[in-house]
Amino acid sequence: MKHETPMLDQLETGPWPSFVSDIKQEAANRAKNEKNVDYQIPVDVCDDLLGVLELSFKHGRTHWKHGGIVGVFGYGGGVIGRYCDQPEEFSGVAHFHTMRVAQPAGKFYSTDYLKKICDLWDFRGSGITNMHGSTGDIIFLGTTTKQLEEIFYELTHNLNQDLGGSGSNLRTPADCIGKARCEYACFDTQHMCHTLTHEYQDELHRPAFPYKFKFKFDGCPNCCVASIARADMSFIGTWKDDIRIDQEAVQAYVGGELKPNGNAHAGRDWGAFDINKEVIDLCPTKCMWMDGKELKIDNKECTRCMHCINVMPRALRIGKETGCSILVGAKAPILDGAQMGTMLVPFIKAEEPYDEIKEVIESIWDYWMEEGKNRERLGELMKRQGFQKLLEMTGLKPDPRMVQEPRHNPYIFWKEEEVEGGFERDINEFRKYHQR
Amino acid sequence: MEYEEAKQKVIDELTKKQKSKSKFYFNDLSKILEMKPREAKKIVNKLVTDGVLEYWSSGSTSMYGLKGTGKQAGAEHEG
Amino acid sequence: MAFISSGYNPDKPMEDRITDIGPRNYEEFYPPVVKANKGKWLYHEILEPGVLVHVAESGDECYTVRAGGARLMSVTHIREICEIADKHCGGYLRFTTRNNIEFMVDDKSKLEPLKKDLESRKFDGGSLKFPVGGTGAGVTNIVHTQGWIHCHTPATDASGPVKATMDVLFDDFQNMRLPAHLRVSLACCLNMCGAVHCSDIAILGYHRKPPMLDHEYLDKMCEIPLAVAACPTAAIRPTKVELPDGKKVNSVAVKNERCMFCGNCYTMCPAMPLADKEGDGIVLMVGGKVSNRISAPKFSKVVVAFIPNEPPRWPTTTDTIQKIVEAYSKGANKYERLGEWAERISWERFFEVCDLEFTHHLIDDFRDPAYYTWRQTSQFKF
Repeated sequence: MKHETPMLDQLETGPWPSFVSDIKQEAANRAKNEKNVDYQIPVDVCDDLLGVLELSFKHGRTHWKHGGIVGVFGYGGGVIGRYCDQPEEFSGVAHFHTMRVAQPAGKFYSTDYLKKICDLWDFRGSGITNMHGSTGDIIFLGTTTKQLEEIFYELTHNLNQDLGGSGSNLRTPADCIGKARCEYACFDTQHMCHTLTHEYQDELHRPAFPYKFKFKFDGCPNCCVASIARADMSFIGTWKDDIRIDQEAVQAYVGGELKPNGNAHAGRDWGAFDINKEVIDLCPTKCMWMDGKELKIDNKECTRCMHCINVMPRALRIGKETGCSILVGAKAPILDGAQMGTMLVPFIKAEEPYDEIKEVIESIWDYWMEEGKNRERLGELMKRQGFQKLLEMTGLKPDPRMVQEPRHNPYIFWKEEEVEGGFERDINEFRKYHQR
Repeated sequence: MEYEEAKQKVIDELTKKQKSKSKFYFNDLSKILEMKPREAKKIVNKLVTDGVLEYWSSGSTSMYGLKGTGKQAGAEHEG
Repeated sequence: MAFISSGYNPDKPMEDRITDIGPRNYEEFYPPVVKANKGKWLYHEILEPGVLVHVAESGDECYTVRAGGARLMSVTHIREICEIADKHCGGYLRFTTRNNIEFMVDDKSKLEPLKKDLESRKFDGGSLKFPVGGTGAGVTNIVHTQGWIHCHTPATDASGPVKATMDVLFDDFQNMRLPAHLRVSLACCLNMCGAVHCSDIAILGYHRKPPMLDHEYLDKMCEIPLAVAACPTAAIRPTKVELPDGKKVNSVAVKNERCMFCGNCYTMCPAMPLADKEGDGIVLMVGGKVSNRISAPKFSKVVVAFIPNEPPRWPTTTDTIQKIVEAYSKGANKYERLGEWAERISWERFFEVCDLEFTHHLIDDFRDPAYYTWRQTSQFKF
């Protein structure tokens, strides 16, 4: 190896896959170059990456600087500029920009496609990736400025593949596995994610928003893609009608022939399955009971938390009248504290061509683009101007499902048109009956 | 507003402010253009493809500036 | 190293340009068993840790083997993943939201050879390449950010502490003994690219020193109005400073007591670095969740205000996490998430059973919402 890395070497042991060993193998492969690749960035880029990381382990500080390079010509996102602050010692990573490549919905891949991605990134970049970044993109970690356009050209011309979002853009939308391989999915997350991603390519590449904006699609209230915590617009699958019950299968759980929760608790002896203790008593609305050997659900009272379905997937299935809820305004804590998504549309059909959903999206964007301050997330604007304003701008009707509880204070800012007779009154008329 | 007129207006306004800063939010541009954001965006996109404006990004936020201006431009365009 | 053109012409960037084509269509990438049964799945079961079967209305079965992995991976490693998928899975695979790799086969007979193959592969340093696990009531892969490998404002590394933590929690990656699933996440600074704020256990990098000011260079390297505007707490103002040689320069002043250590100024102005070996370290937050199951989604709460960075293996951080996981495992009811358990037994009891010290730093004092985190009832536990 080019640099001694005594601290990093200590991360090669232990069972969990070692990123240090992986980068070392990449460094060795680049040095050997068995495929005779005409590397377009320094051959020793991986050696220098380990070298500069070792230095950070020693110093307890990063050695990267930010650069404002944002993308390829005409795009305002998809690339993050990075420069090393020790470029003489680690010349291979002196310029080390990130590229975000839009991932396919569901993160399914054919090996044919992945190999082509690898070949391109081997040839024109460091060969180091993130599979995947936090938002969902495939991340290419480290290349030089000159290669950015070349990589984009090859991606679009040879791989039919575009970059993802960064900056004040729509960020690359992400979804859960959905109907592809999950019985809980209430709508086709992949189809909706893919369709809307394509619909809003301009918003994704050319920043005109006050700040970042995220869509995420969860097929059911289990929220595997965490949309409710991190997406400005979170689409969560739900249903309106009754949970489908297979009474025989319920009895199979009760009798112990079927393991609860898809066998997720097999690592400990929790004793025999007790449907009262494990399902009925834990139901948050207490809308279930046993009637002899029959499980009964008062579906009208159900809030679709998924617990009973998660515990007995072979006995209980989501309803048939499915769609999604739309929650808005979630964000991480900076600045004023974390915000969870707020229910805006309790139920909407999630079917092609998604016209109703697009209407909601676009009315929210129009509002936020006009009223949002620089670097203000949608959730912060909602907090600043109030939920009523959002309703007014989206033209949606108020519904108790939008709130946890009604307001705690009577300080209602009545508008003049809401009060009979308006605000203008004749003081002299008043004085006829009330002395000064 | 015609494109050429809009272009000149953006160049003039941003040049005036050049002394103190070179990067602007999208909102600043739509204010200069006196347009609704969606209308302004069409002009701004074209100003970028015509090489008048360029993007700058903090990673989380995007800004716009006249091409080649700003104190970091030298370092980032790598000569 | 001769430059090889892709075909792109820098003089005419718009010539022959393809834009706005988005990601590839997911349909191209579905394994046949998924394509044939999409939307028609009946149920699933975890056959053993890391191995799932999904059964469709048609009777078709999809067996999935889930393997952990560092999200930071080389093309060599991805090619090896492809080789495995070609050998066993007809050339298809997928990644999960939490950076696991899923290998799918359509027949039970293909399961054992696939599992054996995955478990047999090790890196030269000795670690497993594809540990099988991450299902059910256990610990799955940690989602995380870049850290010292690529970010300019991290207060800790990401891949290092993640590797160290997963080594410590490895048994729970391959076992399902916990009361419910436990999600661990890491973000390397408070900006939280990784949105860790709703995790059962969140490892968060935190700076504790305001930026240094490189007065001599500040006005040359930065646009002062942008640095001023970058501060979310309005702690930065423009000022004039006299250098030791008597020269007066434009610069900025920082009101240190207002600084929340976010590093946003450093992003706009490289003459304001804030990273510091002693100042930087880790905050531990616990009890968050995103699922709507039983109780509503919850935010994670700060239970350890600061742990110093201890590269390469962050022992104090991993020991503390292990202590919390053990207390949770011992105390929680079946199906109870960490945050639900802490709320049930009370937070005063949580600190006791986890053997954690409660300090003044753990009482919220940030803006309005803080008031509602203080106790407003006569009920508490001794």
